[in-house]
Amino acid sequence: MTANLADPAVTPEELRRPDDDTPEPRAARWRWPLTPKMFIVAGVAAAIGYLALVPLGYLIWGTFFDAQGLDLGSFQRAYGDGRMGELWGNSLAFAGGAALLSITVGTTLAYLNVRTAVPFKALFFAASIVPLIVPGILYTVSWIFLASPQIGLLNAFLEPIFGAAPFNIFTIWGMIWVEGLHSSPIVFLLMVAAFRSMDPSLEESALMSGASRMQTLRKVTLPLVRPALLSSILVILITSLESFEVPALLGLQNGIYVFTSRIYFVLRSYPQDLGAAGALAVSLLAVAVIGVAVTRLLAGKGSKTYQTVTGKGFRPRPLDLGKWKPVVGVGILFYFFVTVVGPLLVLLYAALLPFYQAPSWEAFASFTFDNFAQVFEMNSAARALKNSLILGLSSAAIVMSLMAVAAWISVRSTIPGRGIVEQLSFVPLVIPGIVLGLSISFVYLRFPLPIYGTILILLIAYCTKYMPYGMRYASTSMTQISAELEESAMVSGASWWTTFRRVLLPLLSPGITAGFIYILVVSFRELSSSILLYSPGNEVLSILIWEQFENGSFNVLAAIGVLMVLALMFMVTVAYKLGAKVGLRED
Amino acid sequence: MRNRTLVPLVSLTAVALVTSACGGPPTAAPEAGGNDRESSAEATAAVETYDRINGLSGQERTDELVACAEEEGELNVYTSNTDMDDLVDAFQDLYDIDVSVYRAGSESVLQRILQEDKAGYYGADVFETNALELGVAEQEGLLYPYKSELRDSVQEEGREAEGWTATRFNAFVVGWNTDLVPPGQEPTSFEELAEPQWKGRVSMELGDVDWFAALHDYYVDEQGWTEDEYIDMMTRLASNSQVAKGHTTQGELLSAGQFDVAVSSYSHTIDKAAAGGAPVAWRPANGEPVQPIVVRPNGIGLVKTATNPCAATLFVDFELTGGQEVFAEKFRIGSIEGTENPLTELDRFPVPEEKLLEDPDTWNKAYEDVVANGQALE
Repeated sequence: MTANLADPAVTPEELRRPDDDTPEPRAARWRWPLTPKMFIVAGVAAAIGYLALVPLGYLIWGTFFDAQGLDLGSFQRAYGDGRMGELWGNSLAFAGGAALLSITVGTTLAYLNVRTAVPFKALFFAASIVPLIVPGILYTVSWIFLASPQIGLLNAFLEPIFGAAPFNIFTIWGMIWVEGLHSSPIVFLLMVAAFRSMDPSLEESALMSGASRMQTLRKVTLPLVRPALLSSILVILITSLESFEVPALLGLQNGIYVFTSRIYFVLRSYPQDLGAAGALAVSLLAVAVIGVAVTRLLAGKGSKTYQTVTGKGFRPRPLDLGKWKPVVGVGILFYFFVTVVGPLLVLLYAALLPFYQAPSWEAFASFTFDNFAQVFEMNSAARALKNSLILGLSSAAIVMSLMAVAAWISVRSTIPGRGIVEQLSFVPLVIPGIVLGLSISFVYLRFPLPIYGTILILLIAYCTKYMPYGMRYASTSMTQISAELEESAMVSGASWWTTFRRVLLPLLSPGITAGFIYILVVSFRELSSSILLYSPGNEVLSILIWEQFENGSFNVLAAIGVLMVLALMFMVTVAYKLGAKVGLRED
Repeated sequence: MRNRTLVPLVSLTAVALVTSACGGPPTAAPEAGGNDRESSAEATAAVETYDRINGLSGQERTDELVACAEEEGELNVYTSNTDMDDLVDAFQDLYDIDVSVYRAGSESVLQRILQEDKAGYYGADVFETNALELGVAEQEGLLYPYKSELRDSVQEEGREAEGWTATRFNAFVVGWNTDLVPPGQEPTSFEELAEPQWKGRVSMELGDVDWFAALHDYYVDEQGWTEDEYIDMMTRLASNSQVAKGHTTQGELLSAGQFDVAVSSYSHTIDKAAAGGAPVAWRPANGEPVQPIVVRPNGIGLVKTATNPCAATLFVDFELTGGQEVFAEKFRIGSIEGTENPLTELDRFPVPEEKLLEDPDTWNKAYEDVVANGQALE
């Protein structure tokens, strides 16, 4: 729309926000240090710095130093593997493919959900989140039951038409398919927030000027949501590079190794080689720092580029699909059948069986509720559910409130070093869960207040872990809100805090709601740091799930998965309805 | 602008480094353990109690122990045992003691107890996990010897270490799907499973380094194979294999028919599934299962800094008495001599814990390479 980044004539200096050149009014405000604004901004920045630097310091210390001083041996141990090139090649192909798939799927679904008149919006919304709710291992194993060449149900159904085993889930394509679908809700939520804050008059103008629908989509709609797209790509690339569940269950079967398999091996020996794991994480850190810098640069070029929420009132009006309605309807149904209903049915089927077997009358005859009964009989199931709920709701609320302010600092303020806040908030994304857990317990075992051994330590871990996602959601929404709204409020005499509360927060609500839902859902299955930090009495649901994986029954696990989907779908629908009541309203 | 953003980053990182430096290297291998431990009030009191109980025997010991344990009224168990709920229920039925359980993977429980020890936070009364992790805890000086007549009745390989006592054994067996492997065609040896007729029908598990190391010692030290012969056989076995991660998932896929044979299943995983009706087995109707069966003890140790030393000792007693029945119900193999043991008369081979502890990287790497190289073969 404006200057092209790839154009070498455009220097970073030219891409600066115009505000930078005219610092007078804001800089002047900064000379009064004792305003509530100063306290809030400084407090949030300090909180982010603290949360990010504890694990980062621990990671860097463990990676670069040992008892004797600087030591780079961990890099040798981590990267000294002859197959490292192959591992990275597989990892990049896997992460790239998964990012592409999840972005296509997530964006399309979000567009249809927000901008078109599809029926059953709340149900559509909840269904789009389902792959996120189901724990990765369960979702992956469901796909094995669907598309394995040996036992896949889809393969058995389609064999008469396409010949033996048309699908093979144990390939890089299968890995991309499962990871891409499993990650698509992250993109979906980010894009829903972006589309909800978009002024449809821009698209209407394009259509009026004779552009076709495709042209409008390509030239107007998608460029306007570029910050959200970039955030999605960045998050999915990094999480897929880190993911080990899907590669371990699908790739290893046929010898497709990724670089996280190195992390698995260096962490499973005693003493755990955290240095080598850290050395591997350092390369992800580099990817993340560059990625955040690039998104800042792009979002920063001409700050008005993406500001669709302006002083000009608008109501996002859903697009009538016209003659395409049946086609889109069938497409959506097909998509949900394949990605949501299929795996869920398999899970439900497994949850009703004493052991997995191919569907037959005999299998149906052996249906039982024993697995569900076992879940309810677990000693700590009720307590774990309560703790998970408390932690999920409070970490989502805390992270999103902190990040709303942080997004203002990063996107809107002229405070020196504001870019650092965004960079720091992203750091926990690349810290392996076990390192996060170890660093937090290391600190709080030596902390004067009794936080170790309480549920608070889990809350701190969750806030740290989900801060990066919260920041992506909040800052993406913030780039869409025009500065003129804030300025008008200030001119009319509102204080910064009033403006923030009464103007910005309601306008940010699409991003805040999406981030809240995301954190609530994924916090239910956080395991890697919870397992080190929980104490008797503070069990969370993921610990019970882990126990079933360690030595239990896959079928009980499937029952837990089904219950989680039901409970979280209900909560997501409530959150969606509540979120829709605040801020921008649709017609 | 660029410099403005760089300066705070550098200074913040520096602050972080300094802060963590003050606490000593956090991720370095634990050295001498907590220095304050030996002189702590917790350790002094617990050791005194342990010595007193260890010095008693017969009914006098039992009476004294139960009275003292119920007075303490609480017990903190750190464990990786997933059947702990049932054990605790049975224990609490017998005694008026409130049991709290911290349970995680064996590596995590070990990390937890070591980290707490270094910080002078003493949360555990007993430590119950795999032999390897118990060995580390003993080496670090965290455990205190448990003595009783019960310990003397534990099978010999389960009471070699002074600091902990075996309560049960994990047995790695070759399991198969009985629908896919008809009677009479069951595998008879690892060598056979490395032959071409098993191509694509076998499954190995990604993390079973201990099983791999045990078979290495069996074939090389006992059977006189060369190093190369063993690696060659394992590589061919891997080339026949689909690699799974996690024994529970592997067991489920075996009963679902994703592969015909799993070479390193746990006997209790197979036995439990078979009891539920799944088409899996590790012992043929006629003839013998694949041997040797690799066994690895799991056990329990008294923690030197326990705040409830009597309850801790009573719990160890319980695991070696009533607990043995709970294990059997869960298809586990108990450690007390003479208990009904499905492995009696079969050829067993122990996991070489010490070797694994001394040089874990070499063994991890060797197994990782064998699996990857095997899979790369066509």
